[in-house]
Amino acid sequence: MAMNSDRRRINAPSGGTSAPVFARTVKEPGYIQSLRPTRTRGPDELRKIFLQTSIIPSASGSAYLEIPPSPPSSSPSPRTSLLAPPSSLKLTAALQGPKPLPRSSPFSPTLLLTTTVKFAPFATRTRRGYIRDAVERDLGVHLETALRGVVIGERWPKSGVEVVVTVLEGDEDGWWGEGGGGGQDGPGSGSGSGWGLLNVLAGCVTVASAAMADAGIDCVDLVSGGVAAVVRDADGKENGRGVMRVLDPCPAEHGHVVAACAVGYLAGRDEITTLWMKGDVGESYEALTDGATHAAAGSLSVLKEVLLEAVEANFKGQMGSQEGSKQKGKQQDVEMAG
Amino acid sequence: MASTATPPPPTPLSFPRPIFAALTPHPFLHAHLSASKQKQPLRANGRTAHESRQLGVNTGSLTHCNGSAVVRVGNTAVVCGVRAEILTAEEGTVDEFPASSNTNGGDEDEDEEENGYRNGAEDERERYKEISALRLLVPNVELCTGSTPALLPGNAPSAFAQTLVTRIRNLLLSTKVVGARQLRIVHAGPDASLGGDTGGPNPNREGDEVMREGGEGEGEMEIHERLVKGYWTLYIDTMFISLDGNALDAAWLAILSALSDTRLPHAYFDDELEMILCSDDAARAKKLELAGLPVPSTFAVFESDGRWGEDDDGDGEGEGEGKSWVLSDPDTFEESVCQESITVVVDCSTSTKAQIRKIEKSGGGVVDREVMKMLVKRSLERWKEWKKTLSTNSRAFF
Repeated sequence: MAMNSDRRRINAPSGGTSAPVFARTVKEPGYIQSLRPTRTRGPDELRKIFLQTSIIPSASGSAYLEIPPSPPSSSPSPRTSLLAPPSSLKLTAALQGPKPLPRSSPFSPTLLLTTTVKFAPFATRTRRGYIRDAVERDLGVHLETALRGVVIGERWPKSGVEVVVTVLEGDEDGWWGEGGGGGQDGPGSGSGSGWGLLNVLAGCVTVASAAMADAGIDCVDLVSGGVAAVVRDADGKENGRGVMRVLDPCPAEHGHVVAACAVGYLAGRDEITTLWMKGDVGESYEALTDGATHAAAGSLSVLKEVLLEAVEANFKGQMGSQEGSKQKGKQQDVEMAG
Repeated sequence: MASTATPPPPTPLSFPRPIFAALTPHPFLHAHLSASKQKQPLRANGRTAHESRQLGVNTGSLTHCNGSAVVRVGNTAVVCGVRAEILTAEEGTVDEFPASSNTNGGDEDEDEEENGYRNGAEDERERYKEISALRLLVPNVELCTGSTPALLPGNAPSAFAQTLVTRIRNLLLSTKVVGARQLRIVHAGPDASLGGDTGGPNPNREGDEVMREGGEGEGEMEIHERLVKGYWTLYIDTMFISLDGNALDAAWLAILSALSDTRLPHAYFDDELEMILCSDDAARAKKLELAGLPVPSTFAVFESDGRWGEDDDGDGEGEGEGKSWVLSDPDTFEESVCQESITVVVDCSTSTKAQIRKIEKSGGGVVDREVMKMLVKRSLERWKEWKKTLSTNSRAFF
């Protein structure tokens, strides 16, 4: 294990530990499947999105996004099984800057955007390490591509901005016992894994976009993320069709995901800044992309509403106590003028 | 947060507050503290010197954790998740701690209630050794989440983060809030485990639960030698969402509430598969019992310098020099201008008398014995606040 050599942190027992194995999952073959959640919303219906901006006072912009699993309390409230239910997506984004680049760095005519996506150790079913792994770097690059397309970088020469997205809880790649928990296997390690990452990416795009707007960084449009997938239900009893296209898939709810696509989408300009497609897409890639943009448009409506509310609240606060609300916004202005 | 209530300092400021604060932090805070003579001195954040920030706790919100908590102390926000994994006992590790784990520790209650004086002291020491030697508690702290502009991600843990996590670990081990007994996964011998997965009735503190669980085999249970087949290892991961000073108190509050929210599944050794299995029945999961409620309170000492006192404080002649204020629960700005800091850990839960569990002090010589006594008093008040917050906000504390 990589963590064992980390001398700057507290390390696990040297022999390594294993996640608990539940008896009924080993001894009763059908048990896991009986607990599998089912999709109760329509194929074009998104999960509810909770979004909040300005959660971190010391950052110039920040946002929190939560997408709870589709039926918020499908199981009776005192859970009888300790097998974790499908988790909700929980992301925080912090944006530091724009601030001047250090003197040693070369001249940059545009804003330097640095994005980091980090999973919390408790974000997924298998515990993650603290050192950034390939999956996280991959997500960071995708996010950077998505954001770079909207920022008007020319307005901030010689400066840099740091976008940090922390995944407190990520979507799984599937239900228990299939495709791992989004753990160590990279996004390309087989068709059966990494589906949750697309949801995480779409969430990252939306939450980072909210943080950018919160920080007041000039953008051409609001970018938002969306996911669509082609799924085949394991039992197939609900719908005889077998293969169908769904928006905002929750991988745990579907027996088999055939293909999926995540986009960062500018609804106002009908542009796509990033596109990540996986799986056996076949002929239907246009339909899949269309679906993802529809999902992105859905999350955009939430994004817009939240930002409007935040602006209104900020405006009211400014009217009320001028000294109080002045602090944050003004500080950056001064910094940039210098 | 911002101080609209602050009366204007005698000398009118010629530039806005944030710039004053950024340019000359020390005179800025000094001007605030020495501004109002008649009342309590107010800090830049609008609190009085003795005033701590509001606590907010919310537990059990993370799916993949055995226990979790989100904590807010003013503008500091922390998420802590406790995750239990199994450390399989190998030959070497079991033999190291046979006495404390199997024979005399087996059916004795924790010393906080029964207080078995015969083996209390050395048992305690053994327990401590077991947890620290096997590294059953793995606390870690992540600050590089954009929580503060100073720490950016992608870097190795800073000296501050390393110090913080070491202090937390020491506090966890020295206050012994988690007893080793609860972390043991005990095999009750072949006879008792015949009845399916009632296998290892863990030496339990509630007598009735032992009766209920290990109904058929409790007679033999006492006779058969119990084997420790494994340990629960608790990964205590603390992520700072937002950092505005006093990281230790906030992190500890999060850890404590997450630990108190933790439920360990019923685990037993399965003879058939020869491995440790868990029951996924939520009703059989056991709550982690915490021994006591040690509460740290951090203070920072702000010393006024004669030089600044005269320059910026128009009427602060003479008597402002060499003056010092002890600020409870400092925020980032105050931490940056204060040298001396004190952390007092107190606990009033185990007995009627309050206990001082730890005092840490560094960076100066202002706090003498008298001041320290006062600080301990303040910590006791803070303890009451913590207790109130924990018992009302989190569903399963006490």
